[in-house]
Amino acid sequence: MSEIRTFPDFLKRLSIILGALVLLIIIIFGVLIYTIPAVSNFNDILLESIGNPIVMLDYLDSLGVGINSLFFKIAVFPGYTWAALIAAEVIWFERKFLAKMQLRVGPLYAGVIGGILQPIADVAKLIFKEMISPGKSDKLIFYSVPLLINAVGASLLAVLPVSDGWLIMRSDVSMLIVFAVIGFVPISVLLAGWASNSKFPFVGALRGLHQMIAFEVSMLIAALSVVLLSGSLDLVNIVQAQSSVWFIVLMPIGAVVFFITLLAELERIPFDLPEAESEIVMGYLTEYSSMAFGNIQLGTYIRFYALSGIFTTLFLGGWHGPQFLPAGFEIVNQVEWFTLKTLLVMVIIIILRGVNPRFRIDQLLRFGWSRLLVLAFLNLFIALLILEMNWFPFSGGI
Amino acid sequence: MNYVFKLFSAIKSGMKHLFMRRLTFRYPNQKLKFHGDGYQYDPKEGVGIAGYRGRHILYLEKCTGCSLCFMMCKGISQSIQMVILPEKEIPVNKKSSFPQIDYSKCVYCGFCVDACPFKALFETNEYEIVSYDRESLLFTPDQLAIKPKYKGKYELKYGKSGAYHG
Amino acid sequence: MSELTVNIGPQHPGSGHFRLIVKLDGDKIVEVIPDPGYVHRGDEKVSEYKNYIQNIPHFERPAILDASNMLFPYVHAVEDLMKLEVPVRGQYIRVIMAELNRIISHLYYFAIYGIFVGHSTMFMWPVADREHFIDLAQMISGQRVGFAFLLPGGVRNDIPEAVKERANEACNYFEKRLIEYERIFMNNPIFEKRAKGMGILSKEDAIKLGVVGPTLRASGVKSDIRKDEPYAVYDKLDFDIPVSKDGDSWARAWIHIEEMRQSMSIIKQALKDIPSGPVKLNLRGQIRPPPGETFSRAESSRGAVSFYLISNGGMTPYRLRMITPSFRNLRAISHITKGLLLADLPPAFWSLDYWPVEADR
Repeated sequence: MSEIRTFPDFLKRLSIILGALVLLIIIIFGVLIYTIPAVSNFNDILLESIGNPIVMLDYLDSLGVGINSLFFKIAVFPGYTWAALIAAEVIWFERKFLAKMQLRVGPLYAGVIGGILQPIADVAKLIFKEMISPGKSDKLIFYSVPLLINAVGASLLAVLPVSDGWLIMRSDVSMLIVFAVIGFVPISVLLAGWASNSKFPFVGALRGLHQMIAFEVSMLIAALSVVLLSGSLDLVNIVQAQSSVWFIVLMPIGAVVFFITLLAELERIPFDLPEAESEIVMGYLTEYSSMAFGNIQLGTYIRFYALSGIFTTLFLGGWHGPQFLPAGFEIVNQVEWFTLKTLLVMVIIIILRGVNPRFRIDQLLRFGWSRLLVLAFLNLFIALLILEMNWFPFSGGI
Repeated sequence: MNYVFKLFSAIKSGMKHLFMRRLTFRYPNQKLKFHGDGYQYDPKEGVGIAGYRGRHILYLEKCTGCSLCFMMCKGISQSIQMVILPEKEIPVNKKSSFPQIDYSKCVYCGFCVDACPFKALFETNEYEIVSYDRESLLFTPDQLAIKPKYKGKYELKYGKSGAYHG
Repeated sequence: MSELTVNIGPQHPGSGHFRLIVKLDGDKIVEVIPDPGYVHRGDEKVSEYKNYIQNIPHFERPAILDASNMLFPYVHAVEDLMKLEVPVRGQYIRVIMAELNRIISHLYYFAIYGIFVGHSTMFMWPVADREHFIDLAQMISGQRVGFAFLLPGGVRNDIPEAVKERANEACNYFEKRLIEYERIFMNNPIFEKRAKGMGILSKEDAIKLGVVGPTLRASGVKSDIRKDEPYAVYDKLDFDIPVSKDGDSWARAWIHIEEMRQSMSIIKQALKDIPSGPVKLNLRGQIRPPPGETFSRAESSRGAVSFYLISNGGMTPYRLRMITPSFRNLRAISHITKGLLLADLPPAFWSLDYWPVEADR
C-alpha cells in the first residue's frame, strides 16, 4: 500500500475505496434482482424512468417518500441534508471571506477551485483521529452532548417557514417551540463543561451560561413585540402579517436588539468568550476530539443557519419578495427568497466577526442586563404604541 | 451614538479590504527574486558587496587552506571544519585542506566570507537546503563548489489597489 | 473568599516564555508575581569566550526582532575605547537600519496584541505589512531576520541603488495602512472599552519604578535617548517624541503607532540627506580595544539598552554587562495588574512590550 502524503493521494485512495464499494453494490443488486420480486419490480421502474422521470416520482409517492411526503421534507429539503450542506458551504465561505478581508488566501489546494472541498478534507481528518476523553469524566454525558447539540439544531429547523404551504411543521405555537428549544442550549454548554471534569472547560462553561442567560431575556422581549404586532404565535402568520411592510421598518430597535442577542446565543465574535483562546484554551470544548468535535461544529453551524432563519422570519419578511419565476413556481420563488435573506444575515454576522475584538465578561454582562434590556423594553413600548394607535392595520388571527 | 459611528467606520474599513489585492506569496509556485548574486566580500577595500546570504559557494582553485574561515566560525556556531582531500591537487593549496560546512548549525551570518582573504568563499541566493536526515546537511567541499541554480521571478510590487507579489 | 494561586506558566497560549504566579480572589487579581529565568542562557558569560567580531551575532539574538538596535550600544562601546571615528555615510545607514527595525518590532507588538484581545484581523494585517520592511532590510543587509549588519567601525556593506525608490514606495503605502489600523483597531469601540482605563501607570510610579521606553512616554515623561544624548546622526534629523498623559494600555498602543510614523519620516529624511563616501573603516580585522571601561546606551524599540564594557587588552572582552529594557519593565507587571480581572492579564502585560528572551538573556 503506498503512503498517503498529499491530498491528491488521499483522493486517489478514496476513489479506489468508493469504486470498490460501487462495484459491490452493483453485484449485490444484480443478484437480488433475480431472487426477490420486489427488487425486480424496482428495477423495471428504474429502467422505465430513464426517459420519463414522472414514473419514478409516482413510484416514490406510492412508497411514501415522494417530494410532498414528510420523510423528504425532514431528511432532504428543507430538512437536515439541506442544512448540513449549507453548514459545510458556510464554513468554507467564512474562511475564504475572512481571508479576503485579511489580505490573504484561505483554503486553496483542496478541490478544483479555491479549496471548495476543504470541509470534506476536515471531516475526513477528524474521522481518522482518535476519540479520547479524560479519564475521570462522565462518559455517558460527555458523549451525549454532540447528539444534544445536533438535536437542538434539527428541532429549530423543523419550524422554519420556508414557504406558504410547503414546510415541515406548522403549529399554532411555533414561537414558543423556538424559545423552548433555544433554552436547551445553555444546558448543553453546562453538560459539556461539567462532564469534562477539568478546570478550563468548567470555567468556559460557566462563562457561557452567564452570557446566554443574560441575553435570552432581551431576545424574548424583542420577539414578544413582534408577536404583539402580528397577533399570533404562529411563524407562518407572522410572515403573512409582513406582506405590506417588513417589521424591521416598524421596529428597527427591536431588530438590532434581536440581532445582538443572536450573536450572543451563537457565541460568535464579539461575544465568543466561552471559547477565548488566549486564556482558556478552547473553553468547554477543550476535551472533545475527533468526530465528537466534528459533530458539535456541525450542530453549531446548523443552529447558526436556523437562528438566522428565525431572524429573517421575524423581521425581514420571511419569504416575501418579487416574483421572478413564471407562474406555477410560486413555492420555489418563496423558498428562494427565504434562503437568500437568511444567507445575507449570515454574511453580515461573518463580517462582524472580521472587524471586532472580544468583550470581557463583566462588560458583556453589564451590556446585556442594563443597556440591551432597556432597549428591548423601549421597543416593546413602541410596539404597544403602534398597536394602540392602529397605525398597522393587520389584525391576523390570534 | 458615537459608538455606532465608530463601529460603522470599522466595518467600512474592513469592507474596503475586500477589493484590495491579496499579499499571499504562493511558494513553491512563486519564488522570490533577489537583487544581485549573493553576498560577496572585497578583501582589498575591506567592504562587502550587498547580496542575499544563502548557501556558500567555494572556488576550489582559489582556496589555499588557510582556515581563517574555520577560526572565525569557531566562536559563532562551529559549523565549518577543515578536511583534507589528498586527491585534489591545487597549486596554491599545499596541504589540500578545504572547508566543509554543516548546515544544521550555520546561522548564515556571513563572517566567514568576510574572513577569507583570497575571494574563495562567497554566498549565493540559494536557501532551500532541506533533507530527511542530519548527515546529508553536511556539505563537502565538492558539494559547496556546485554553482547555484536558483531562479526566482516574483517580487513585491505596489499597485493601485494594494501591494502584491508579481 | 479564599485565595486561589494559579500558574500561568511557560506553556500557555496567553504568556510568553516565562511564568506568572497569579493570586486570584474569584476573578479578580490580588497579586501577580512574574517569575523570569526560563530562557536564561548565560549570554554575558559566553561573550567572554568570543572575540569582538564573533560577539556580533551573539548579541543580536536576545531580541532578534530589533537586532540592529541591540547592537548599537555594543559598537559604540568598542569604538569609544578604540577612539574610532565612523564615516558619516556609515552612520546614516546605521540609522536607517535601526528605524526599520523599530517598525518591524512595533508591528509584531500589534500582531500579538490583536491575538490577546481576540481580534484576528489585527493579527493578520501587521504580519502582512512586516513583509514590506523585512524585504527592505533583506535588500540592504542580506538576511531577513538575523542581520548582523553593524560592525565596530561602520556597517558591513553599502546599500544598493534600488533601496531608495523601494523605501519611498513602502513608506507611502504604509502610511495609508496606518489610517486603516486606527479605524479598525484603535478607534474600535469594543477595543476602547477594553483598553482605556486598564492597567494605569501614573507618572510618579513610572519614575519610581524605573521603567523605560514607550511605557515611560505613555505615562507623561518626555524622555528618549535619541534626543537626550544623541548618538549616530540623530541630532541632524528632525523628528518628534510622542508623549501621552493617560498611562493606560490604550495610550501605550497609541504611542507605538505614533513612533512608527516618526520612524518612517526619519527613514525618508536619511535617504535624502545621505552623503557619499566610505561606509566602514578598514581595520584589517584587528579589533582589540586597549584596557579601560566604558558605558553606552541606546534607544531600542522597547526602551533603553545599556552596555558596560571592561576590557583588559585581550582579544575577548573581560566583562560585558548588558541591561535590557524588558528587564527594567519587569517591576511594572506586578504594579499595573492589581485589581484587574483575569481576562485582562494578557493584554495588560503585553502592552508593556515585555519580551522574555531579552529579559532573561
